[in-house]
Amino acid sequence: MNISPDPWVWIAALLSLAIFSFLYKENPFYRIAEHLFIGVANGYAVTFYWHNILMPTLFDPLFRQGKLLYIIPFIIGILYFTRFIPRISWLVRIPIGITIGYYVGVSVPATTQAFIIKQIQGTVLTSTNFQAWNAGSWGIVWSVIVFIGVLCSLSYFYFSKEHKGVLGVTSRIGIVFVMIGFGAAFGYTVMARISLLIGRLQFLLGDWLGIIQ
Amino acid sequence: MKFIERLTTIDRRIIYIILVIVVVIPLISRSPERVRVMLPVEKLYNAVDTIPKDKVLIIDFEYAPQDMPELEPMGFALLRHAFEKRIKVLALCLFVQPLGLAQKALTQVTEEFNSVAQSNADSIIYGRDYVFLGWQPPPLIPIIGMGTSITNVYPSDYYGNKTDTLPLMKHIKNYNDVALLVSLCAGSIPRSWIAYAQNRFGVAVAAGVTAVSAADFYQYYQTGQFTGLMTGMKGAAEYEELVETRLGIKKSRKASEALPSLTYGHLVMIAFIIIGNVGYFMQRRRRK
Repeated sequence: MNISPDPWVWIAALLSLAIFSFLYKENPFYRIAEHLFIGVANGYAVTFYWHNILMPTLFDPLFRQGKLLYIIPFIIGILYFTRFIPRISWLVRIPIGITIGYYVGVSVPATTQAFIIKQIQGTVLTSTNFQAWNAGSWGIVWSVIVFIGVLCSLSYFYFSKEHKGVLGVTSRIGIVFVMIGFGAAFGYTVMARISLLIGRLQFLLGDWLGIIQ
Repeated sequence: MKFIERLTTIDRRIIYIILVIVVVIPLISRSPERVRVMLPVEKLYNAVDTIPKDKVLIIDFEYAPQDMPELEPMGFALLRHAFEKRIKVLALCLFVQPLGLAQKALTQVTEEFNSVAQSNADSIIYGRDYVFLGWQPPPLIPIIGMGTSITNVYPSDYYGNKTDTLPLMKHIKNYNDVALLVSLCAGSIPRSWIAYAQNRFGVAVAAGVTAVSAADFYQYYQTGQFTGLMTGMKGAAEYEELVETRLGIKKSRKASEALPSLTYGHLVMIAFIIIGNVGYFMQRRRRK
């Protein structure tokens, strides 16, 4: 056993144990660690934004270098704070409108192409599907399964008609695919959560207590 | 019947204790587990391995402390691979939190190589072999802007150096000089790289993601939008395995060392799910 002499390792270890103590029950140690985390994270972000974004990209050019065009983003940014003044709070719509307009304009064509067109192409039955998995002649089998799965899952979410007859059958098959999807996602979630536990235990047993190398 | 009732009312703290014991024992006993490399990880490895000398690899570090166990080993393995093959690397972050962790990974792996380097040519030199561009918000601006000019988006690097004065950046203008971009992320950023960088500028994108989001990303690998994909601690262990067996780099393999704990942890979870369900169905039958 080779316990770390580093005070920062001790602080991290004790805070980890404080957070783990919540597994037993809610207690003051947990609350201290939780509040400390939120405070430190916010403080870090605010100072980082100030020194690395606001100062070099806005305040320095505008107020020290006299680049007057920067007054436009400065005023637009300031308008966000008008919501604290009820009489002129409607002005906040201007920066929000600009932001939404920009992001919608940029993202609609890009996401349509990347997430809808490409994904539909991935569902179309072609011999090149499942090339990424080196599926060989099995590729067409997997492609057919994906094709059926997508159509049936979509039919399950078609609510404009009662799920009877053909639609009843396809939606029932669809729910099987959806459940398999949920099962895979849950399995991966378990894996992720256990990984986080392992990571912390590697730190406590390794970096702090020196039991493992 | 009391036994069946107990099955459905096991105190959660008992489950936690059993889980911790099951996870800790393999970590201490260091029981090795064979890592079988899956195709998505192998394809990523091959894509990195075949990057031409005049192109760069961009690594987008997007993991925060809560994602470290899964994504940090991926970052280390990728950097070891790139530095061993003398592939030029640009590192960047799209959010504030990962900055310190990205710097840690770059510094640590650089030290590993420089501690055994015999000459300046063997060493990993900042500005010549890699550049840490730092952070430039909001995420969409650097993703789109780098398609035109990387130094315009990042006029200075993480350490405050002017990027256009760094030797590496004299040959790297925009995405045309990027062979592959790997995003190590716990969120949806790899999707943004596909939508805005790949869709518009044709850059090859790969990802290393946490297990919890893995199911959301496989479809992009299947359609070929991702060149390769690492998922969770298992994906990181697979990349570590390739770096060790193919390049002979024997360094700490945190993800591989954790795999036995992961396996036994899963078995315990499966056992509890079965116990809970058996208890529930037996109780229901008794009520009928």
